[in-house]
Amino acid sequence: MGTMGLALSWETRISSMPREREMRVEPSEDLPGRPSETVAPAVTAAAAEDAELAERCRTGDLGGYERLYALHGARMKNVARNLLGNPIDAEDAVQETFLKVQRSIAGFRGQSSFVTWTYRILINTCYDARRSRVRKKEVANDDSEESPRPEPRAPGAHPSLRMALERALAGLTKHQRDVFLLYEVEGFHHAEIAGMLEITETASKNTLFQAKRNLRQVLEPPRGNTAAGAR
Amino acid sequence: MNITCEDRDRIFLDGTPAEWAALEAHSGNCTVCSEELRAWKAISAAAKEMRDYSDSPSLWPRIEQALTAEAARKKHRAEGWNWLSLGLGLSLGWQTAAAAALVLILTASAGWIYLHPPKSRPSPDLSLLKSSALAEVERTQAAYEQAIDKLAADAKAQLENPATPLEASYREKLLVLDSAINDLRAQAGMNPSNAHLRQQLLAMYQEKQQTLQDILEEKR
Repeated sequence: MGTMGLALSWETRISSMPREREMRVEPSEDLPGRPSETVAPAVTAAAAEDAELAERCRTGDLGGYERLYALHGARMKNVARNLLGNPIDAEDAVQETFLKVQRSIAGFRGQSSFVTWTYRILINTCYDARRSRVRKKEVANDDSEESPRPEPRAPGAHPSLRMALERALAGLTKHQRDVFLLYEVEGFHHAEIAGMLEITETASKNTLFQAKRNLRQVLEPPRGNTAAGAR
Repeated sequence: MNITCEDRDRIFLDGTPAEWAALEAHSGNCTVCSEELRAWKAISAAAKEMRDYSDSPSLWPRIEQALTAEAARKKHRAEGWNWLSLGLGLSLGWQTAAAAALVLILTASAGWIYLHPPKSRPSPDLSLLKSSALAEVERTQAAYEQAIDKLAADAKAQLENPATPLEASYREKLLVLDSAINDLRAQAGMNPSNAHLRQQLLAMYQEKQQTLQDILEEKR
C-alpha cells in the first residue's frame, strides 16, 4: 500500500468507543438528533486522556499500558482478528504492538494522536504477519489464497448475510478490505483511518465506497443488472 | 432539499447528514433508490456482526509480562551506557565535547607515533631485566670458574708431571676443554644474552670439573 500522505491533524482523536455512539455521517438510524456541539467536549476530553496516556507510557508507567489495553485492547484484537483471520495470530499481533509502542514511544512526536499511532503500529504489525504468512505458504508450496479466513463466530442477527459478507470480503483488494473493516466493523472515522493507513480522508472515503459497491455487486446484484444479465 | 437518483452514489460516497435524510425521503417514492439504500445499510449491518469485543483473560498478563521483560532489558542496556559514560551524569553537550576531545587526543597520539616510530632497541625495563639476569649468570659462572680453578690448582702437580699414561691423557683432554671453553667465552662475550652458548659453556665447565675430579681421584 502506497503512502499517500498523512492528513491527520493533532486534534483528530480516536475514542475507545465505536463510531456510532458519536456523531456519524451515515444514512442511518444512528444519526438523528445528535447535535455536533455535544461532540466538542468529548473530543477535548479524549485529547487530554490521549496526551496523558502517551505521557504515562513514555515514562515507562506500566499502568499507562494497562489503561491503553483496558480502553482499546478488545478493539485492537478485533482489528487484528479481522485482518489476520484468527484469534491466535491476533493476540500475538496485539502483544507485538504493545512491545513496539514501548520500544518506540520515545520517538512519538505527537503528529497524530497517541491512539491513532498505536493502531497504525497494530495495522503494520498485521501487514507484516500477513506477509510472513504468505512467504511461509509460498515456501510450503501452498496455493491457498492470501485473504484471511475469519473463523466462525457466534450467530448474530444476520448470520447468513454475515457469512456471505466474510466470503465476499475475500474478493476485495487488500486496501478496500482494510478500509471497510476499519470503518464498518470497527467504527473508526475516515480521519482516523487516514491516520492509521497513512492515506488522505478522501482516499479513505473513495476506497470505502468502492468496497461497498463491490460487495453490493457480489452479495446482492441490483435487480436491473440481474435482469440485464438474463436478457 | 431536492435530490434525484443521480445524487445517490455521491451521497453514498460523502453525503452530509441533510443529504442522507433527503435520500431517505426520496427513496420513499423511488423503488430503485429504496432498494439500493436497503442493500447499502444491510452491508453495514452485516459488518457489525464481525465485531467481537469479547474479553481474553490471558492476553493482558501475557502483554504485561512481555512489557516488564522488555523494560528490564532496556534498563540493563541503559546501565551499560551509563557505565560507558563513567557515571558522570554529563549533559549531552559535555558528552559531545568529551568525545571530541578524546578523538582529538587519539588523532594527535596516532600522528605522533606515525612521525616518531619507536626504535628497535628494547625498552628500558626489559633491558634492566635482561641485564639483571645476565649479571646473575655471570656471577654464578665466575664463582664456578673459581671453584674449578681451585680444583685445577690441586691437580696442577699431576698435570705438569703425569705419572701414568692416563694422567697424560687427562692433561690432553683438559687442554682441549680449555681451548673450547676459551672459544665459547669469546663468543659469549660478543653475544652475552645467548642462552645456548651459556649452556654449552656450562657443559664444558662440568666436563672440566669432572676431569679434574677424576685426576684427583687417581692421585688417591
